Amino acid sequence: MTKPVTLDINGTQHEVDVAPSETLLQVLRNKLRLIGTKRGCDSGGCGCCTVHIDGKAVYSCMAFARSLENRKITTIEGLPKDGQLDPLQTAFIEEGAVQCGYCTCGMIMSAKEFLATADAPDEQQIRHAIAGNLCRCTGYHKIVQAIKVAGDNR
Amino acid sequence: MSLTSVKEYFTPTGIEEVSELLETHGDSALIVAGGSFVHGLDARDLLTGIEALIDIQNVGLDQVSSDSTGLTIGAMVKFTELQQLDKVQNSAAFGAVRDALTYPPTQIKNVATIGGNIAAACPYFDLPTAVMVLDAVVQARGPGGSRDIELQDFFEDLFQNSLEDNEFVTDLFFPQLPSRSASAFTKLETNANDLAIVNVATRLTLDDSGTCQAARVAVGGGVAETPVRAVSAETLLQGQKISSKLIEQAGVAAQSDLQPMSDHRASAAYRSAIAKTLTQRTLQRAFDRLTGA
Repeated sequence: MTKPVTLDINGTQHEVDVAPSETLLQVLRNKLRLIGTKRGCDSGGCGCCTVHIDGKAVYSCMAFARSLENRKITTIEGLPKDGQLDPLQTAFIEEGAVQCGYCTCGMIMSAKEFLATADAPDEQQIRHAIAGNLCRCTGYHKIVQAIKVAGDNR
Repeated sequence: MSLTSVKEYFTPTGIEEVSELLETHGDSALIVAGGSFVHGLDARDLLTGIEALIDIQNVGLDQVSSDSTGLTIGAMVKFTELQQLDKVQNSAAFGAVRDALTYPPTQIKNVATIGGNIAAACPYFDLPTAVMVLDAVVQARGPGGSRDIELQDFFEDLFQNSLEDNEFVTDLFFPQLPSRSASAFTKLETNANDLAIVNVATRLTLDDSGTCQAARVAVGGGVAETPVRAVSAETLLQGQKISSKLIEQAGVAAQSDLQPMSDHRASAAYRSAIAKTLTQRTLQRAFDRLTGA
């Protein structure tokens, strides 16, 4: 049985009819067409669906949408400010940290939470921070580099 | 996730309300803590007939308190919050919990809870093995009131805990250990999101003369239907001065306590060999924490 739920996504209130077992990922992609968030394994193993809930990186494929009223949800679409890309997004572009691009949004959302608390992280810390995200192209080197650049350029 | 049989999602705001919902929905209800293993249960066909999800994030089970008898941690305390507790960060006794929390990825640590992780009774999880060596006690609440359940009695079988009908986990209690206690944990996995192929936790408590007063060795991850204590290894260590040779023997003894399973991830022989080595290394790490090495 669906029920109307108000979700705060990227600062906008969305009223959505949500089934009891529906995940945030399903709502984002299928109902709100916020398709920057990707569906990969759909079982909390690949990180493509990473979004922020109250500033914390979570797998949206595992979050029940009905549990998220009064929480602040941020997706990749919510990162640019005043028409400017987030410095992490810019770093991914400039460092060429994208191959097929499927993992990119999840990588950036994980890195975003990490950089919020990490001061000048080294490569090992960055690799540990994105351990919950898989790149199926195995293009980790440039991803790590992009996160390092974004961290150093603050 | 499919969960096609689910018809209702409840968000109670107090534990009385949780009890009432369980009374009403009984076997067709599933308590949801962080939610990070609901998919895992569904994928194993363990949620057939579940019609109601009871989300307990707003019922106040996220408190941590301590007194002279020990530390009580609410079921809904998340892994990231556990990591920030002073004891988990700094005490040698809680070294096993500290170690276990270094393995999961951030996205899991931000949602997974200590209560959910224990209640799932999954032998491949890490915290159950880690808290077993700290003699943790599960506190559960049901129609007959609250009761304490020793961890070994709580894990009954694969994905099977010993909770009675309409009972749920409210807290984990960690008794205060003697001052010269240290624990450690090690896991063999293939990537950051992997369940344990084998995991081992150890705890050593020494008396003033440096003799081992109490030893705990727990092994999980496909060595049995539940995490288990390696009693022969513990007995061997008890009452002795800890040495490299003794630690080596304890690893062999632990091996004799286990009858690991073979599956597509690892053979029984491999798990057995790894359990021996991890027992030795993890005992050494706990001992190093006591001696400051």
